[in-house]
Amino acid sequence: MKRSTKALCLAVFTAVMTTAGGAPVAPAATAAASDAFPDTPPAPGPVPKLTVPTPFAQTLANGLQLISVQRTGLPLVTAQLVLRSGGEMDPPRLAGLADLTANLLTRGAAGRTAPQIAASAEALGGSLTAAAGWDESALGITVTTPRLPQALDLLADVVRRPAFSAAELKRAQTEAIDDLRLMLSRPTALASLVATRGVFGDGAYGHSRNGTPASIARITRSDVQQLHRTLYRPDNAILILTGDIAPDRARQLAQASFGDWRKPAAPLPVKPAGEAASRLPAIVLIDQHGAGQAGVVVAHAAPSRSDAGYYVGMVANAVLGGSYSARLNEEIRIKRGLSYGASSRLEPMSDAGLWLAAAQTRNPSAPQVVDLMLGQFTRLGHSRVSGPELAARKATLIGNYGRRLETTDGLAAQVAELAIYGIDLRQIGDYAERVQAVTPKQVEAYARKHLDVDDSKVVVVGDATQFAAALRKAHPQARLLEAKALDLDSPGLLPAATAKK
Amino acid sequence: MSLRPAALLVSFVLLTAAIVLPSTAAQLSIPLIQYHERTLPNGLQVLSVENHASPNVAVQMWYHVGSRDDPRGRSGFAHLFEHLMFKSTKHMHAEQLDRLTEDVGGANNASTGDDVTNYFEVVPSNYLQTLLWAEAERLSNLDVDQKNFTSERAVVEEEYRTRVLAQPYGKLFNAIDPYSYRVHPYRRPTIGSIEDLEAASLPDVIAFHHTFYRPDNATLIVAGDFDPKQLDAWVDRYFGWIPKPSTPVPQVTAKEPARRKNRRYTVTSATAPLPALAQTWLIPPAADSADYVPLQVAAALLSQGDSSRLYQSLVYRHEVAQQVGAEADGRVGPGLFTVYAILASGHRPAEAEKLLNEEIDWLATQPIPAAELDKVKTQLLTGELGQRQTAQGVAFALGQAALIDGGPQHVNTDLALLQRVTAADVHRVLQKYVTGAHSVTIDYLPQKVPVMPGAGQGAAK
Repeated sequence: MKRSTKALCLAVFTAVMTTAGGAPVAPAATAAASDAFPDTPPAPGPVPKLTVPTPFAQTLANGLQLISVQRTGLPLVTAQLVLRSGGEMDPPRLAGLADLTANLLTRGAAGRTAPQIAASAEALGGSLTAAAGWDESALGITVTTPRLPQALDLLADVVRRPAFSAAELKRAQTEAIDDLRLMLSRPTALASLVATRGVFGDGAYGHSRNGTPASIARITRSDVQQLHRTLYRPDNAILILTGDIAPDRARQLAQASFGDWRKPAAPLPVKPAGEAASRLPAIVLIDQHGAGQAGVVVAHAAPSRSDAGYYVGMVANAVLGGSYSARLNEEIRIKRGLSYGASSRLEPMSDAGLWLAAAQTRNPSAPQVVDLMLGQFTRLGHSRVSGPELAARKATLIGNYGRRLETTDGLAAQVAELAIYGIDLRQIGDYAERVQAVTPKQVEAYARKHLDVDDSKVVVVGDATQFAAALRKAHPQARLLEAKALDLDSPGLLPAATAKK
Repeated sequence: MSLRPAALLVSFVLLTAAIVLPSTAAQLSIPLIQYHERTLPNGLQVLSVENHASPNVAVQMWYHVGSRDDPRGRSGFAHLFEHLMFKSTKHMHAEQLDRLTEDVGGANNASTGDDVTNYFEVVPSNYLQTLLWAEAERLSNLDVDQKNFTSERAVVEEEYRTRVLAQPYGKLFNAIDPYSYRVHPYRRPTIGSIEDLEAASLPDVIAFHHTFYRPDNATLIVAGDFDPKQLDAWVDRYFGWIPKPSTPVPQVTAKEPARRKNRRYTVTSATAPLPALAQTWLIPPAADSADYVPLQVAAALLSQGDSSRLYQSLVYRHEVAQQVGAEADGRVGPGLFTVYAILASGHRPAEAEKLLNEEIDWLATQPIPAAELDKVKTQLLTGELGQRQTAQGVAFALGQAALIDGGPQHVNTDLALLQRVTAADVHRVLQKYVTGAHSVTIDYLPQKVPVMPGAGQGAAK
């Protein structure tokens, strides 16, 4: 089959070559039609230089940190207001409070209704989007330069003077609950949530940052007001302006919109511990009847952002599953056609980190994908990455990084990531150098320490009739649960009445 | 449903603001894209935009072939074929294109739509020559073997399951084209079906490549950090020798008849938590800018942002829907004006349909405030500026204009047209193509499913 195919191809392209040779078809002055088409790719020219713009940091008298990065060219500016607190501050039983609070900011403020605020932002050409992450809550907008002063006034209004009306809270709760039902119907999203619970247990990073239908319903107006009062203050905030904006102008505009924002006398609350003992077995299977595919997730705890091995971790993840050509996708998609895509991400946070690999596959293939993932974890920690493979994955990492900095919002996101964790902003320009310094030995040691298969949390969500028996045979400790019966607010995933088992 | 690139992967800044379009109401100025165009004797169209703001270059090959050209009984084939273009060629082993992009700090991907298939890379600019060679190589020397064919077909089947089966609303969006067209091959979903993918064979691949992958059916777009003279020389060297076949490229000739009545269909889902509704109307080809651009403005008035009319009515005031959308889906042939709503808990599709139609009727007949029209123009123009920050974004804008919107010049002229759209234009196109025409409506309903025996409450431990 293969041979005859080749013959056919050859026939087609022999004809092509003959035509090209017999009657030159490219008379353009510089064309060399008579040159044979080379058999090997032309070698690259000299390496071009990437210049990374320098962030300019200032602090207003009220403690607000202001960071601007100037890049002229297009008349475009991204403005981001970032708080150094997010979902980790959600009180027990109120999962999703920080996210709901961020979401409510734009739904009425400073005497304007939600529709009026949306209309104002959109008339400026952008849209105001707000959400809570781990360790941060952010509100941002991208506009053309002439509209920046109005955009900053709008940002200041919603951050400083939100109405949190009862009617808007109720509406936001209803929407959030519907969004959650949608999210929980996606196998990989549900599996990721459960795996994260498996890694962090009852710790601050263990709950659902978007809440659960039950926790969202419990939130009251005073909960939202209390969180806002406690965390939304200038000495917990960073204003980031990137694009067509000079540092002097940045300060002037920041002062005008945020200069009279008062810092409260009370100290900022202490962050809770991110990680606590897990109450979940090493492998959890969840039946989502009728699911078109199974979501397979394997997760591990990882070091925090301040860990000295941060760049080693980034490189290790790049080798494991950080891109199309990384090992997980190579083994699961490219070699075996088991998934449209397999990948991993390493997310270091303030108090701990999460290393999570995910793929969606045909329901009956789930056991094979679990084995392949665990196998790649072991391989990374027990053998040396070759020089060419490491060089290739470092190049991917550095290339992605450089391109992310080329849009105003990508630049703002990168600056925010450094600023939130108190990392020296000059590191924005050192990224390539630090990545290049990582050695194969460091990668192996990092993976052995943080990807130990015995500490893995495996979660498979899908049509369990098609995979549960095989997985339970291979992993007798596996526990099978029904998607509809899960209590995602409980560290044990079971409603209180049945949790004692 | 067309498959769009997952993300625009690269960035750079346009420094040359040679000509400025003053926006009447919005007072925004958008720098024109200063592209250079030439056509090789073998018919290859080459578009380039030089810019040195970043040390990267975007290389894109756009082919005038899409799922409309799927062979009979082979729905999804154009898309499957796109995947195979990353497999072996005479001089490259499978996935070597990843070695020449990802492994040197670049990126690559491809997408298949109804009318076009595009392959796009961004690389540090010292790899431009390498990539031009690689694109010429897979245009002229593709050589896929059975093993690669079989494993990649399995990947595409997983893509089908991921997009259509595992997404709670995947089956709804996949049903829009089949129910919206009666005759035109657009009625085949781009992703195809598992049965048709299983029926595809290696000889189909060879025939498809032979038929559609030829220089006179392609556009090469290069944007970013390059020297124009050098580019021309490389393009001539690597692409110039590829002959233009003497046979014409097959063209779709099917004519979609005007709809004679409204039609209604029902699709069910085992996993969707909430019902949904979609409605479509036929619109003219995207190249009919005088009508297509106002239809885009109408779609933005209806659904772009939280201040849009559908959001304000269905989501905010009546709380009937949790998500709404409207789109003017312009194509080379007849396109679709599409609206949809995913319902809020406790509401039925009929409630959403009534409100959707009220809003469309109101927009089509009642005065449109100048400030609102100005708002959507500012939104659309700011979005365009955002896209043009990157070499890849500029190249995509050019490809869309050249292959779908009627020619590369549309990348600039359609923006000028956008700034001149009036309320009367919006009324005219909505009355002509939507309120004065016939709809196709799809009700999407969750189906009740039984609970798996033995699961739940930890009992199975």
